[in-house]
Order: sequence, then C-alpha cells, then structure tokens
Amino acid sequence: MTDLPLPEFTVTVLHEDTTLAVCVGGELDHDTSAGLVDTVVQHLTAEPVRLSDVRLDFRDLTWIDSTGLSALLMIHRRTTAVGATLHLDRRPDFLDRRLRLTNVLDHLTAQASRADPHGHRENDGCTGAGAT
Amino acid sequence: MRYAPCVPPFVTASPGISARPPDAGHLVGATWTEAPYPVLIVDRYGGLVEINEAARALLPGAASGDRLHEQVPSWLADAHQRVSGGQRGSSAGPLSGPIKGRHYEAHPTAAGDGDVVWWLVDDTDRRLAETALSDARTRTEILSDVSSTLLSTLNVSRCMEVAASLAAEHLADAAVLVAPRQGRRRPLAYANRGGPVSQVTRQVDVAGVPGLAEALQGFPPVPARWIDPVGLPDWVVPDGFAGPVGSVIVAPLPGHGVSAGALVLLRSSAEQCFTDGEEVFARLFAARAGTALSAARLYGEQANVTATLMRELLPPRLSSVHGVDYAGGYRAAKDHERVGGDFYDVHPGSDPSQDTLVVLGDVAGKGLDAAVLTGKIRNTLHALLPLTDDHQRVLNLLNGALLTSHHTRFATLVLASVRRRGTRARVRLTSAGHLPPLIVRADGKVEESATRGTLVGALPTVTANTVETTLAPGETCLLYTDGITEARGGPLGDELFGEHRLQRALSECAGLPAEAVVERVRMLASQWIGGGRHDDMAAVAVSVPRTGPLTVLNGTGARSSRRNT
Repeated sequence: MTDLPLPEFTVTVLHEDTTLAVCVGGELDHDTSAGLVDTVVQHLTAEPVRLSDVRLDFRDLTWIDSTGLSALLMIHRRTTAVGATLHLDRRPDFLDRRLRLTNVLDHLTAQASRADPHGHRENDGCTGAGAT
Repeated sequence: MRYAPCVPPFVTASPGISARPPDAGHLVGATWTEAPYPVLIVDRYGGLVEINEAARALLPGAASGDRLHEQVPSWLADAHQRVSGGQRGSSAGPLSGPIKGRHYEAHPTAAGDGDVVWWLVDDTDRRLAETALSDARTRTEILSDVSSTLLSTLNVSRCMEVAASLAAEHLADAAVLVAPRQGRRRPLAYANRGGPVSQVTRQVDVAGVPGLAEALQGFPPVPARWIDPVGLPDWVVPDGFAGPVGSVIVAPLPGHGVSAGALVLLRSSAEQCFTDGEEVFARLFAARAGTALSAARLYGEQANVTATLMRELLPPRLSSVHGVDYAGGYRAAKDHERVGGDFYDVHPGSDPSQDTLVVLGDVAGKGLDAAVLTGKIRNTLHALLPLTDDHQRVLNLLNGALLTSHHTRFATLVLASVRRRGTRARVRLTSAGHLPPLIVRADGKVEESATRGTLVGALPTVTANTVETTLAPGETCLLYTDGITEARGGPLGDELFGEHRLQRALSECAGLPAEAVVERVRMLASQWIGGGRHDDMAAVAVSVPRTGPLTVLNGTGARSSRRNT
C-alpha cells in the first residue's frame, strides 16, 4: 500500500492477486495528473505477476480537467500494453459527463484482449521510456 | 649595576662601556646584542652609542659614534629627537616606517643619561598580510555587490551598461564591453570611470585587439603585458579617455556554455599598470558579469521565442465574411500569457458559394506546450480545408496527424462550415469531443446542437456526427470552450458558471450582433471569476445580420457585391 501525499490529492494503491486497485481522491488536474500516471505505471511494471485488471476508484474524486482525462488515456494505453483491462469505478457525474462528451468511455473501459493486447498494435512504442 | 626604569632587565644601559664590545662574561649584556631584532642605543644628541648584530645587518655601514640621521631614515631620526627631547606624547602616533625596503615598528625605551634604546620590530610581512586581507575583503565586497547589481536585471542592454560601469569604477580607468556578434555588428558598451555609459552597435575588427578574438570565443585572458597599448585600434578607446592608454587587459566573459562577450579594461599611462592580483580580480569580475549577461541574454532569447510563437499562435481578428458576421474572444488562463490551450480560426470560403470554416478547440494542458499543439492543429486543419465537405474525414486525418506514442495530449474541437443562402445561413456543425455549440434563435430560445464525437489526438480512430442547422437574420451560433462554463467563482467563489447560466445569458442576446454576443459572454464569465484563477476561455459567435448584406458589409461586402454583379 502506498500513499502519495499531495495537497488535496491522494492516490491509494491496493494490490490483490492480479488486480491493481487505485483509489483516486481530490482534484485530478494539471498539477496532479503526472503523479497518478507515474504511480500506476510504477506498479504496472514492478509487479512480478501479470496483472489482469486495473481498477481506478473515483469515489473521492472532486474534479477532473482535460489534463486529468489525458492522464486516464495514458493509463489506459499502459494497461492495455500489458494486457490488463482498465475499470473506472464509482465515477462521479462530472467525470461521467466528461467521458461521454469526449466519447472515450467505451474506449477506456473496453475489455483488453489478453492473447493479443491491442495496445501494442495501436500504439507501437508507447511502452518505451519516453511514454510519459 | 643599575637598571633604568622601564628598561627590560636584560638591557644594560651603560654609556661607559659602549665604546667597546660588551663583556662576554656579562650574561645579560650579551643577550641584547644577540637579540633577533635590531636594537640601537642612541644618546640624547643623536649619536649612535651601541648597536647589536641584527642592527648591524640592517645598517651595514653603521658604527658606534655615527650620527643617527646619517644612518636611518628621517622618520626614525626625527622620532628620536622627539623622544629624547621629551616631546613624545600619546598623540605622536605609532612609530613605524620603512628602512632599507622593509617596514619596521620602532619602540623606544629610556636608558640612563638621556640615552634611548630603540627596538626595531620588522612588521613587513604582517603589513603585507593585512593589506592582502583588506584587499581581499574589498574585492569580495565588490564582487558580491557586482553580482547582486547585475543579477537584479534581466535586460541585456541594462546588464551591459551596469557591467561596463562597474568595471570602470573598480578595475580600470575605462572599460569596454564587447558583446557577441549580432549579424555583422556587435553591441559595445563604453564606460569611463565616473562617467556615463554609452552603448553602440557597430561593425568592429576584433582581430585588431590582441587576444580579443580568442576571449570572445571563451579562451583564457591575455596577460596585460602581452598587449601593446600603442597598437590598439581607436574603436576600443572610449571617447573622453584621459591620455594615452598605458595598459590593457582583455578578459573573456564566460556565459552559460557560450561566451557572453569580452571585457577590455584600459588604464591611462599615468596610472600604474595592472598587477597579477588585479588581473585575477578582473577575471573573477568577468566571470560574474558573464553569468549575469548570459542569463539576461538567455532570458531575452526565450522571451523572443515566446513572442514569435505568440504572434503565430494569437487568435486572429475576425470580421464579416460573405454576408455572415464572425466575432471571437479569448482570454488565456494566466493573464500575463497571451496564448494557451484554446484556439479558434475562421477560414473564409474562396467565394460566397463556398463554405467558410470556423474552428474552435481546446487542447489538454496549459501554457506554451498547449499553445504549440494548438499551432499544429490549426496548421493541419488549414491544409485540410479542401476536404471540409466531410467533417468526419477531416477529423480522422487530423487525428492521424496528431497521434503520437509519446503522450496522450488531446484536443477537443468544433468544426462549423457556414454558407450564406439568401437571407439565411446554412451551418454544418461537428463536435469532436467538444461542448456542442449553442444556437440563439431570434425569439431568445437557446438550442444545444446535437453533434457528438470523439476527441482527437489520443485514440486510434475517431467518430463524430455532423448536424445541420439554419440561422435566420438575428440568430447566432456560439462556439465556446469549457473555460467559460467551468469558470469558478460566483458569490461563494467556488461555483461553476455552468451551461445553464450561459444559456440564460445567451437567451438575452437574441438579435444582437456577433461581436456583442461574444463581449457579453466574456464579460459575464470575467465577472463570475472575479480575481480567481481560471482556465483558458474562448468563444466564437457566428451570426446572420438582421439587415441585408449589402448595407452592413463594408469592404468585404463591396468586394463580394462587385463579384455578384
């Protein structure tokens, strides 16, 4: 369990079997997005077991801006690249609205194909070091 | 045997025996003669009574019976007169002075019969150390003063002025600061000590000054003695320089990775030439000045780059095109930055039968990063103009052009293709993940257009649906970014402006010209925010004027009407 103490922004990571559960609280914006991506990517690459699911829990999220949405897209890229499915749980209205307005909800929550993680196909090289 | 008062016990003050060497069996008497300090015993008339070994070494020609003033400098002879005359008071000051190239303190003690024993203590080294310490302190003070003065400005010209002026004040009679080349010419700053600094930019031959070309490349300075002041070109000598140049130092100004120029220090022939210590100091000074100048130059270059980019990225001025009014308003997230993540453009159709394309969008992120991406999007869309009959195809091509593995920075945008048809205008609207445009009808009703689509730049494919609508005279279509609806403020300071408030405001704008609608929206959002922080805000209004096109269209209308006839 890791805590990333940022003012008004918290990321709590829980790891069970092949599921990574990340609880995101506070404002996910220009100042805090990079922290979330880094934390999730660290766990994705550090886990010895191959993860099947990454669950982001937004119960305590108070706001998300376009940079925050950009961070979710990056997390999706990285999770599909390792063949894990991304879940966006307990989404507040404003998040849901933003995801639907930009038409990325289906994309972000699509089942990852484990045999042929399409993240590799669609985003060649996005798992490289320069991916942040 | 008796001791004179105040005379240390090992001094034998005995004029009776002064003519011959002290008795070797006299232990005390032998001590002072072998003392490491020169000791002179002088009678009240200024005659040398006795001197010891150390004094003989200092004054080789001196012997007993000589006159004191013939053997020692006048400061000591005069002091003896005063002391033996009983005039020495506390106000006489320290007794010290040079003897044979070294510096001595002289301590008199009275012996019997009016004789005075002079103890000379060599303090040359202590004085040198004290001078060196005081010089070092002064220089450190000057350097710290130089740094703080120079670093307090980020203006290159001001920085050059200050550096030249400080150099002339502390290091030389005059200083010339030679900056790196700008094209064929170089900025130069001339300073005479105590005089004003003059700056010019001119073509000069740096090869004429030995070591200057090297110094400008950042090589170590040329020692002063290598430079012949006679051969100096005229441009190096500032106007009003007193007398011929005596000595010169050329010091490079080391910058951040590149040379920040060079400093030429001049002293007139009347002054002494530069010492080694002064050269080292000049180098230290140059290092500080170079850092400050380089920082100022880097800042200036960056400010220039930003200004250049901004000119490209600033939103355009909008006007009427082919009988339809366009107006735009923009406010960047930080008020001191004029560009940001929001953008808009109006690409007029080549003639009234062609669509005019309006683009308004928002790039994720803020500041220059975002602004550069908006530039890319605006250019790509400009190139795709011939394809705008099919908005979805344009969005897919744009998406492909923006997609990169390095980041997921995306953009949301709205495309609006507008064409005037008679008194009305046909508008095709497509949203790519952006807030759908609002349409203000003539009766004050506000409709939200039904277009939806995927953001561009992050997903492999995008989809979007295009909707078509018609604007009657007095009706307006407003494209806006979420910076307006998500502006936080209001009475409690943390409430969103929101779409409802925007729609209500717009319903009062029925029939207003495009410019007035944008201004109204901008004003309301700004009022809502108050002094709070906000995101970029942009809005474009497309409206059909109430009156006929020919009466309102000024220059553009005149052209199109000519074409129509």
